[in-house]
Amino acid sequence: MLLGTSGCGSAPTSWTGITIDGDRIYAADFDTVQALSADDGSEVWAFPTNPKGSNDMFYAAPAVGEGLVVVASKAPPGGFLGQDIYTVWGLDVESGRDAWSFDGAAGEFVEGGAIGQGVFVIGSGDGYVYALELETGRLLWTFETGHRVWATPLIISGVVYVGSADRHLYAIDLFEGTQRWAFEGDGAFAGRPALWQETLFVGAFDDTLYAIDVETGSEVWRLESDNWFWGGPAVYSDTLYAVDVGGRVYALDAETGAEIWRRELEVPVRAGPAVSEDGSRLFVASQPGTLHALDTADGYEMWTDDNEAQLYMSPIVSGSIVYQAMLYGQYRIKAVQVDNGREVWVYPPPEAE
Amino acid sequence: MAFLAYPFANILLLLYNLLGQSTVGAIAALTLVINLLMLPLTLKQQRSARRMQEIQPELEKIKKKYAKDKEKQAQATMKLYQDKNVSLTAGCLPLLIQLPIWFSLIVAIKACIPSTPLDVFQFSQHIYRFLPGVVGLVPLQNTFLGMDLGMKPSPAQWWSYTLPVLVFATSWLQQKLLTPPTSDSANASGQESMAAQQMKTMQTMMPLLMMFFTLQYPVGLSIYFVLSSVIRIAQYYIVQLRDIRAEGSA
Repeated sequence: MLLGTSGCGSAPTSWTGITIDGDRIYAADFDTVQALSADDGSEVWAFPTNPKGSNDMFYAAPAVGEGLVVVASKAPPGGFLGQDIYTVWGLDVESGRDAWSFDGAAGEFVEGGAIGQGVFVIGSGDGYVYALELETGRLLWTFETGHRVWATPLIISGVVYVGSADRHLYAIDLFEGTQRWAFEGDGAFAGRPALWQETLFVGAFDDTLYAIDVETGSEVWRLESDNWFWGGPAVYSDTLYAVDVGGRVYALDAETGAEIWRRELEVPVRAGPAVSEDGSRLFVASQPGTLHALDTADGYEMWTDDNEAQLYMSPIVSGSIVYQAMLYGQYRIKAVQVDNGREVWVYPPPEAE
Repeated sequence: MAFLAYPFANILLLLYNLLGQSTVGAIAALTLVINLLMLPLTLKQQRSARRMQEIQPELEKIKKKYAKDKEKQAQATMKLYQDKNVSLTAGCLPLLIQLPIWFSLIVAIKACIPSTPLDVFQFSQHIYRFLPGVVGLVPLQNTFLGMDLGMKPSPAQWWSYTLPVLVFATSWLQQKLLTPPTSDSANASGQESMAAQQMKTMQTMMPLLMMFFTLQYPVGLSIYFVLSSVIRIAQYYIVQLRDIRAEGSA
């Protein structure tokens, strides 16, 4: 009771995230944002430089573009009755120094934002989508939805596509912030949409994966499963890959939704899948800590990498390496080989413990 | 402590679906269900408090008779309590039993009206899909009178702070009505007055603790506490009225 009244207990409320850009990985890793070498995991810079002097907690994958790394954080209130402070930071990509910050949101930033044509867009737990001028962090517009926005937006050709827990997928003009269309499902949309030709794919908490016309917002086809769809699907060539939170992996024909194969991993999965650059491997990160590598031809499990950690974030593939962010583990980031899952490096490195 | 969390969360989903997707309606209905299940205990508590009030004249006689002999006074007092089936702890017991319910409700409300995704991810594996219409409901509609039911009270919604104050007021009143009076028996013996003093302290401290507790947890939980106290206060008056009428007809 006393612990409850004091507000003690600072367990993570979301997951960490990583983004790869060129030869660097940018990680939002609780008390710091780090730039690491993608080759060996060595640290290039960290923000803030003195984490112990800061109360900010960084979650969600950073967005990188136009010389900036944009991340979001949460800091506890100054007083007992205060409100948590939610901030978006624009950091110089070379040095990690903060160029600007924005703290006008009243809800937590869970997933990262997206960058397009000089604009940074991010959804918040207060139900709003915020668009900031990338160069200065100045607020351009806000778009109100009916519930929390936990999804990373997708920006294509001047339009922002973002899902909300109010059961809508919205298409919003990138520069004006006005609605182009809204698609209504029967459950919350919390994943990033994927685009193939003129069709968007996104899953929802009503156990359904939707294919939606990108121009009109009308439904093209749908797939119903036995569990929520949370992480955004992945598309390679004409095949769509999606995973529900019960661990059922689907490979579908992107045009018709016809099932090519399915695989039951029988583990909880929060993250969306990732495909290797040559299209031969599909990577699925399961929440209990295993990274699964499946053959994209038939779903056969090629290898697994077990970790004493929890995996909530989608793996990222670059060249012959797949990178994974981890929660509650000894290591925060792990790089393994695409072909066989052999460890390349971990962060923090073992000698630093 | 939160072993009831998923059953509560699923009941909340079912009620939400049945009550036109009203979150406050679902919380109110769940509050009623829980209070009905606790009714035997609260009735026992209420009757014990009433018996305590009835034996006050006899307690005064014991106090006068054994004014110079504290030990005999204590013995006679305890014998009277036993003969009349009065419990000094009757006021505390329901609170202790409710603790696992509260903790389970915190988890259930955070699962159904999550402020963060980690609140709801585990629950996704424990939704009772055989219940009609519950798939796709999470997260529940989170606004009520401009307040976010899934977040703790905040300056941005300053009126949300009235709910913890209401939690204090209603739980204090409930405690006062349902806890046996101890002021006259406080002088019977040193041991007894300490117990009586502890009871009095609990009557104020528990509502205060609950108020501070609800300042740190989602607004939806405050609604449960307020409604729960109001229901028990209503139960008190209904039972009192029925007992008085029964005595009158006898």
